[in-house]
Amino acid sequence: MTTTTHASFAIERSYSASPQRIFAAWADPAAKRAWFVEGDGWDIQSYEIDFREGGKESSKYLFRKGEEIFGEKTVFTNNTVFNEIIPNERIAFTYAMDRNGKRFSVSLATVEIKLAGKGSRLIFSEHGAFFDGADGVQMREQGWQDLLKRLDEHLAEIKQ
Amino acid sequence: MTKRTATHATFVIERDYPHPPAKVFAAFADPKKKARWFGGPEEWEKSNHKLDFRIGGQESVSGGPPGGTVHAYNAEIWDIVENERIVTSYQMHLDDRRISVSLATYEFKANGASTTFVLTEQGVFLDGYDDAGQREEGTRELLSQLETYLNT
Repeated sequence: MTTTTHASFAIERSYSASPQRIFAAWADPAAKRAWFVEGDGWDIQSYEIDFREGGKESSKYLFRKGEEIFGEKTVFTNNTVFNEIIPNERIAFTYAMDRNGKRFSVSLATVEIKLAGKGSRLIFSEHGAFFDGADGVQMREQGWQDLLKRLDEHLAEIKQ
Repeated sequence: MTKRTATHATFVIERDYPHPPAKVFAAFADPKKKARWFGGPEEWEKSNHKLDFRIGGQESVSGGPPGGTVHAYNAEIWDIVENERIVTSYQMHLDDRRISVSLATYEFKANGASTTFVLTEQGVFLDGYDDAGQREEGTRELLSQLETYLNT
């Protein structure tokens, strides 16, 4: 029998960058790859993005600690479809995560970008369905906390 | 410029249907069966229902009162466990305005000879055009239409 748990979370973060610069870091393939895909602990096997409504994004990566944590060689896959894109304001997308070909979550994410003083405020909201023993929402929320911090670092780096 | 708002809401509807899970599941999986119950009220004009029932497949239907606002449903199927679970992501448009994007999970659980059906919708309602209360009410009506169909 399958089991499904549902959970939601929201993360708010302030950025010194403008909404236009933040949006560009989601829209531009090279920029998105730099903060969203590249990272310590992963070997990227493939990454593709077609940033338009109805377009897809997919990434596949080998988790270096797979044998240590899951007891086997572990490949994660992320498959995304962009549901809504409003330049500089909002992005909504649905994505699934698979581990070694087995789907363990499907989520709806919304990114709102608002002008706040000279910078921006970003609100990331996720609604998720987690399947059969998936690691659950706490790890997912921590994962996005880390990603949104990397987005901030990326924006600081490219400004220099 | 449109004032952008995003309102998040989740609702759960549980129903017991006096039919086995395979029959209830088929009412979602078989395009001909689904077209029989899935849509607006009877007096609405309705366009062709399309359903490609596989992971990554799409579903669409639109309709509305004659000469009135067109309500369009566009979904993509993200997970299928036969007779147990379906997960879709769907958008609703009123004419050309996108009013929501939702994640919908349908669970089918055997309960003796019956099925406990659990629908969970986690949605974002956009720019103030709709709210979760209206959506939940509309979804309850759809599930009543499903029940009528299953009983015929």
